[in-house]
Amino acid sequence: MAITTAAVTLESDLLSDNMSVTASSTLMKAGTTADGLDQMEYGYLDLPTGDEYDLIATTPTASKASKLYLKNHSDDETYYIAVTQNAQAIGKLYGGDWMFIPADFHDAAGDIAITANGGTNKICYALFHEGTALVTT
Amino acid sequence: MATRCSISISSDIAPGFGGISEEMTLTQAGNLVDIDSTTGFAIRKLSATGAVDLVTMANELVEPKDSVAAKIYIRNIGYRDVIDKSVGVTIGVNAEPIGKLYGGDWMMMPLTCIDADDITVTPDNDNTVVIEYVMFYEEA
Repeated sequence: MAITTAAVTLESDLLSDNMSVTASSTLMKAGTTADGLDQMEYGYLDLPTGDEYDLIATTPTASKASKLYLKNHSDDETYYIAVTQNAQAIGKLYGGDWMFIPADFHDAAGDIAITANGGTNKICYALFHEGTALVTT
Repeated sequence: MATRCSISISSDIAPGFGGISEEMTLTQAGNLVDIDSTTGFAIRKLSATGAVDLVTMANELVEPKDSVAAKIYIRNIGYRDVIDKSVGVTIGVNAEPIGKLYGGDWMMMPLTCIDADDITVTPDNDNTVVIEYVMFYEEA
């Protein structure tokens, strides 16, 4: 079985005592405890301003257990990328921010789309999934 | 200390993949000032399949500023030390399903904090499951 683990540590001093949370998850296929996600896509690219782009060109199998990591590697903290799914705004990743979400891709419109602001943003992404609909030539 | 979050991903799917290890400090939009508000760390127990609001943006006691640098951490922690990897909870934003957290899965996601963009949770079945979460945001 392919094994992919994602661990997080979150610390904050905004409360009266320091908060610290750690968690780790092995990324499994949907609805199973015996089979891990076994396919991935990984990239690092420049994202120019001006248009909204689909981050994932192929279509992972809908409603499975895909996980998406995305980081804005821009050095300028005023730069950001706006992230949407199916035209619903999710949020903004400023320079240095990252996100890690389960990605539903529930239909053809369920793509994750990104738009650069401030200038050309550098992004890194990784999609862990269990199958895509490949596009024939 | 501010608010910091680090991620580490390891995988043997692709030969040569060296993994991912990154850290971010949660700051306000467009500058390096630390993010200043939080919902606090909380849990929500769910025992039915209907969608409920995990965060209702219009009901926050400290009004979040819209469309800036908010983030939310959410994790499916199962129930009474039993983590079921086969059953999930769909996380949504303004009724749009973002994805499903199976037992033990976690996510860190940016938010708009616009009043319509509530965070919803919808369990797969009626079995009790607990979601833990914390939202960080800028005060309006």
